[in-house]
Amino acid sequence: MAGAENKSGRHGGRDTENIRQRLDALEGKLVKVQGRYKPPPDVPEARRQAMGQALRLSTELVAGVAIGGFIGWALDRLFDTAPFLMVVFLVLGAAAGIMNVVRTAHSMQGEPLPGEHLRNATDDDDDD
Amino acid sequence: MTVTDAHGVDQAAQHGGGGTGLPDPMHQFEVKRLIDLDVFGFDASFTNSGLFMVIAAVLIIVFTLLAMRRGALVPGRWQSVAEMSYEFVANMVRENVGTDGMKYFPFIFTLFMFVLALNMLGMVPYSFSVTSHIIVTFALAAFIFIGVTLIGFWKHGLGFLKFFVPSGVPFVMLPLLVVIEVISYLTRPVSLSVRLFANMMAGHTMLKVFASFVVALGFLGGWAALAFMVAFTGLEVLVAFLQAYVFAILTCIYLNDALHMH
Repeated sequence: MAGAENKSGRHGGRDTENIRQRLDALEGKLVKVQGRYKPPPDVPEARRQAMGQALRLSTELVAGVAIGGFIGWALDRLFDTAPFLMVVFLVLGAAAGIMNVVRTAHSMQGEPLPGEHLRNATDDDDDD
Repeated sequence: MTVTDAHGVDQAAQHGGGGTGLPDPMHQFEVKRLIDLDVFGFDASFTNSGLFMVIAAVLIIVFTLLAMRRGALVPGRWQSVAEMSYEFVANMVRENVGTDGMKYFPFIFTLFMFVLALNMLGMVPYSFSVTSHIIVTFALAAFIFIGVTLIGFWKHGLGFLKFFVPSGVPFVMLPLLVVIEVISYLTRPVSLSVRLFANMMAGHTMLKVFASFVVALGFLGGWAALAFMVAFTGLEVLVAFLQAYVFAILTCIYLNDALHMH
């Protein structure tokens, strides 16, 4: 486009001015039209990922306590020490659950979100 | 999971939860025997649960085979859906496991498509949602858990046990932390299976409860419940997809831990 402007600039005069104005106007219109057809910022995508993460975190914590309690209960039955091991392992299980949650949350913040690449991948396909 | 005969006692209770007049929201989860089978004393009957698993498997096979039948360079509608699902899972494996994890791609793809098909089939009225039974999801999760652990030991030998020993920790704290790490590792199949099962069961129960409100509130009040049902059905479709996605992505993450021991 710059070359075209230079070429017409050599001739000078009102025509170039006119053309430039029309070009600018066209540019403005193009941006508007493109904006209209551009997909809106991907809210559902972000929400989908956020929901997936929330679903992951919530069960992580509960599962820790449940497994800890179960191991304690089983060991108590084995060694006939009820209810001491169950109490100990419930606490350990809660610790494991919290550790899982912290780790998951950490990996969610640090690394690119799982599935983040998908948007780019589909964009590439469209360009082809 | 109670199994009753197809022509069993529960017919009277069908869609009539006791004296309340409202239908029983849990009735939809009932496993019914379709074909009685007895294998060496084990009850291996073909149930409606099994029927829907077969339907899901057949649907996936027919879909992929028919969609890729022509394998055109410029894909048609069906082919691009098949290619998109391939790309989706392939990217998921590459991102979370790395390129050496592509060896396990067929398994992850099968798993994702199977869970997705089961979840989506559950959204069809009068169908049976297989994944709303913990025994099904737990069997899947336990298979993944055992398989991934075996891969870990196969790749690293006994060195895989180092996975349970956090680095840079005072020696005194180690016994406690190793126990916590082991418990944390053992929670994986539980959280994996409970997440899928609980979401599916809760969603379908909610759907049934609000559907019964539509009828119970009558022509004047039922519209509010109906509007909610429409929105909630949309949400449930999203959850059905999300749960399959989370299930597959967590399998990838576990596989990555076993292969690379982060």
